[in-house]
Amino acid sequence: MTTTLGDAGTTPTRATGPGLPQGIGKLTRGWTLFMAVTLAASLFGVYAFFYQQANGEIVTGMRDVGTMRGAPWGLYIAFLVYFVGVSFAGITIAALIRLFNLERLRPLARMAELLTVVSLVLGTLAILADLGQPVRGVINLFRYARPQSPFFGTFTLVIAGYLFASVVYLYLGSRRDAAIMAKESTRLQGLHRFVAAGYKDTAAERGRHETATFWLALAIVPMLVVAHSTLGFVFGLQIGRPGWFSALQAPAFVVLAGVSGIGLLIVLAAVVRRACGEQESLDEYVFSWLGRLLAVLTITYLYFVVTEVLTATYGGGGRENDVTDAMLSGRYAWIFWGSMALFGASLVGLLIQILTKRWSIGALVAIGLAVNLAAVGKRFLIVVPSQTDGMLLPYETGSYSPTWVEYGVVIGLIAMGAAAIGIFMKLIPIVELPEEADTRVT
Amino acid sequence: MTKYQMIVDLDRCQGCRACMEACKIENNTTEGTFWMYVFRLEEGVYPDAKLSFLPRPCQHCEDAPCVKVCPVGARFKRDDGLTLTDYERCIGCRYCELACPYGVNYFNWEKPEDRTYGDWSDPDLEPITGGLNPPWSNPALAEPQGPEQRMTAGGGHHKGVMEKCTFCVHRVDRGEVPACVETCPVEALRFGDVDDEGSPISRYIREHDHFRLLDDLGTKPSVVYVGGQPPSDEAHEIELVKARVER
Repeated sequence: MTTTLGDAGTTPTRATGPGLPQGIGKLTRGWTLFMAVTLAASLFGVYAFFYQQANGEIVTGMRDVGTMRGAPWGLYIAFLVYFVGVSFAGITIAALIRLFNLERLRPLARMAELLTVVSLVLGTLAILADLGQPVRGVINLFRYARPQSPFFGTFTLVIAGYLFASVVYLYLGSRRDAAIMAKESTRLQGLHRFVAAGYKDTAAERGRHETATFWLALAIVPMLVVAHSTLGFVFGLQIGRPGWFSALQAPAFVVLAGVSGIGLLIVLAAVVRRACGEQESLDEYVFSWLGRLLAVLTITYLYFVVTEVLTATYGGGGRENDVTDAMLSGRYAWIFWGSMALFGASLVGLLIQILTKRWSIGALVAIGLAVNLAAVGKRFLIVVPSQTDGMLLPYETGSYSPTWVEYGVVIGLIAMGAAAIGIFMKLIPIVELPEEADTRVT
Repeated sequence: MTKYQMIVDLDRCQGCRACMEACKIENNTTEGTFWMYVFRLEEGVYPDAKLSFLPRPCQHCEDAPCVKVCPVGARFKRDDGLTLTDYERCIGCRYCELACPYGVNYFNWEKPEDRTYGDWSDPDLEPITGGLNPPWSNPALAEPQGPEQRMTAGGGHHKGVMEKCTFCVHRVDRGEVPACVETCPVEALRFGDVDDEGSPISRYIREHDHFRLLDDLGTKPSVVYVGGQPPSDEAHEIELVKARVER
């Protein structure tokens, strides 16, 4: 290395004093506490998972449909769908920023990509938790994969293709920042050198990366629509399950994925803003942009819900109606109307901010959490009522209530995701280092 | 080519559920698992109540939704019309169970020894049962079956895999009829090759009005119902079996 970047004035430190930017490598009290809590919860999830492996899925609340009057898919599949949904927003935003040169939103890109990668990994783990034979699942899905199964799309497009593309995308961006930081001699220098992998941030290299990420972004956008649709097809193509068989499943999946993902991205951005001292880069404009996008997606999703409910209730009849009844006025009504109330309240909150042009980050965070809670509720309603109330032969109505094992695994997964993001934040800048940082003689 | 189908004569069925018992004994199924199930249905209100019975084996659909969705090809169709589960390949995702509109699939929620009828480990049973196979296992069925030599017969009640009615593949391959058909005291169940125009089952179908369950879904079931009608939306079950397995 001939030129060092650490020369006075050009060090990319912002609001964090000397050393690495954004508090990287510094173990604060809050962060340690956060990690302790999330790792403890993760360990509990791991325990619940192995408890289930040892005893069989009898320890969950799931049972067979039909004579056993249960639901063979429960919380795990609902959260698989939710996690994959969350992944949508991240890479979409990152790709849009790249494709349309939304410079002011650039600080969002890295954390958006990270959210995608983490939630896709969580989705994969949720599938493994659901399988009766997880080890055999990993082997046989490679050995005997059948493209005719709607699950094929979930395994190939979503998990393999989409996750791989997102990891590459995240890495290409991180490489430059790692190269910049590797010039500081810190405990993390080795890691940063490793991540940079010989990258020196010359004009030629930068150009190559720009081209690569542009084409990758262009490839990812259609891929994510297809990938999220395949997850909708897992349900939407099933003729034997009232409430599932619908052409609207796939598009509604994509839109609700956007709602939950943008909601969570708002929350993450607010956390990063506070924790990494990024008040300048993650300004009101960034949040208002996300807020407006969330409003549009929420309106679109509510439109889908109205269409679906109207179609189901206007005509319908027989056992098809049982599912809708259970959802609108039966045992699941509190989840349905609770979710709708959360969506409605969030939308009102967003519209007020759009009309008054006064944005409150606190309110946006509350809205982000609310739409995610509502999204979990809706995912549950897509998966469960069609099993317990949707039998076409005259079986008795079933029931499903999750056990501590299922709650434990799901909470463990969420905690694992949070911990992964927490660790990443301490190693690589979660907000791209600003342009002035790479003023160097070329 | 051979095409096996089953006839269920609803005019003859008296709802005795002997077929369910025969299936359990033949295939060693665990508690709460009913590969063969007989609905006892009631419609209307006393004094205008109508009682009917509806035996429900796996329908062995020609266009089986469970086969389509299986991500690893553990659920497959044989050329002779049988729909079978390779329990050594099954990964336990339970997608087949949800794709099936008839509710015939049963998942092994726990080890069979934890879910057997009675307490097999009771020391008082030792002198009587010593040396015998436990009730959930049958070495004869835990062997590869048929020309494709896959683990499909009812010998494998392994934790974490799917199972269902096999049309007693091990008996059919020996030229016998399924256990439920063999047992039915009133010949309400019949089994045979419909590809052979002259077979008794082909003649029986030709000569009687018949229907197939949920025919409008396009699954083309291999179980043909003769006499009676498909269950109406008002039909509800009476005399439920103890089926919900709790821990």
